[in-house]
Amino acid sequence: MNDTDQIAQRAAEAYEALADLAESVDDEWQYVTDLVDAYMPGIQALADSHQDRPLTPEGAAAVDELIAEVGLITDPHKAIDWLSTFPHVVALAFGGDGALGGPADL
Amino acid sequence: MRFQDAARDGRAIVYAGIQADPLVARLAALLVGATVAERWLARAAMNGERTEADVWRRIFPTLFGDDTAAERRDRAEQLLEASLAVANRGEAARSSYRGAVVEELTAQLLAARTGSAAPDGPVRRERRVLFDGVAAEIHPYDVTLESDARPEVYDCKWGARGINADVLNQLDDARAHAAEEDLSLDVALVVFDARRSCEIRLDRSTANRAGTRLVALEDLATLAERRR
Repeated sequence: MNDTDQIAQRAAEAYEALADLAESVDDEWQYVTDLVDAYMPGIQALADSHQDRPLTPEGAAAVDELIAEVGLITDPHKAIDWLSTFPHVVALAFGGDGALGGPADL
Repeated sequence: MRFQDAARDGRAIVYAGIQADPLVARLAALLVGATVAERWLARAAMNGERTEADVWRRIFPTLFGDDTAAERRDRAEQLLEASLAVANRGEAARSSYRGAVVEELTAQLLAARTGSAAPDGPVRRERRVLFDGVAAEIHPYDVTLESDARPEVYDCKWGARGINADVLNQLDDARAHAAEEDLSLDVALVVFDARRSCEIRLDRSTANRAGTRLVALEDLATLAERRR
């Protein structure tokens, strides 16, 4: 596993932790599940899509800083909000335009 | 169909104070010309746990890195400063400020399209839409574009989670009542969140939304463009 793989893996784990926190809002369980189903594959695939273009040191530091940021969240409602934000900011750190999964998501 | 100012209750008066805070208009003005990446910066920083600017500069290296053009970096710095000023209002006030920013941004983008930001111009705030023989809706629309030829009403949300059946039904009812009067009323939901997240939310809703336009974070600039 190279550095880019490891960073994508850490991002996926942070996203899963965010989802675990968000799931405690009973009324939003379905929405949380739908968000994770939609975004998690894209986060996991970031490393694959960067095999020929490894993440820059700045990009790697950005993802780790973002992981640290969401790791501070204790409010499940805020976690729900971040389930939508986190994947796009990770994608930006990987040098994309904030979209995961292609132009259809723009 | 006619538009009318909404009566203000105590909560609305408090919220009006937030809407009138110069920070709201300043941040909205910065967001009018922002790129999608800059909008993500604003969304993240306004909703962050930490309010130290360096944290956010590290999270968004493409906006603040040494390779970034000075003009672009300066714009990102202004946006970050204003976004953190919202975050620093405290957890309790943040949500009101964020909602007010989305509304003001919508109003500024529509004003750019119409060429008029005058208080008595076509772009108005907190207005009801009244139809003959129909009870008035409880909640006013956040932003309206009161054109005789093609009026538009907007409900504004900070996040996709704010999309619910009540909001969708109110918008669709207004569109349907206007159609009963042979008028075309454009109804739209502006959400400062990812289009994909909004669509996920909408896909689970059974409310009628076929005639409701979604304007998500990625599409905000379209509000300033002439409608076809």
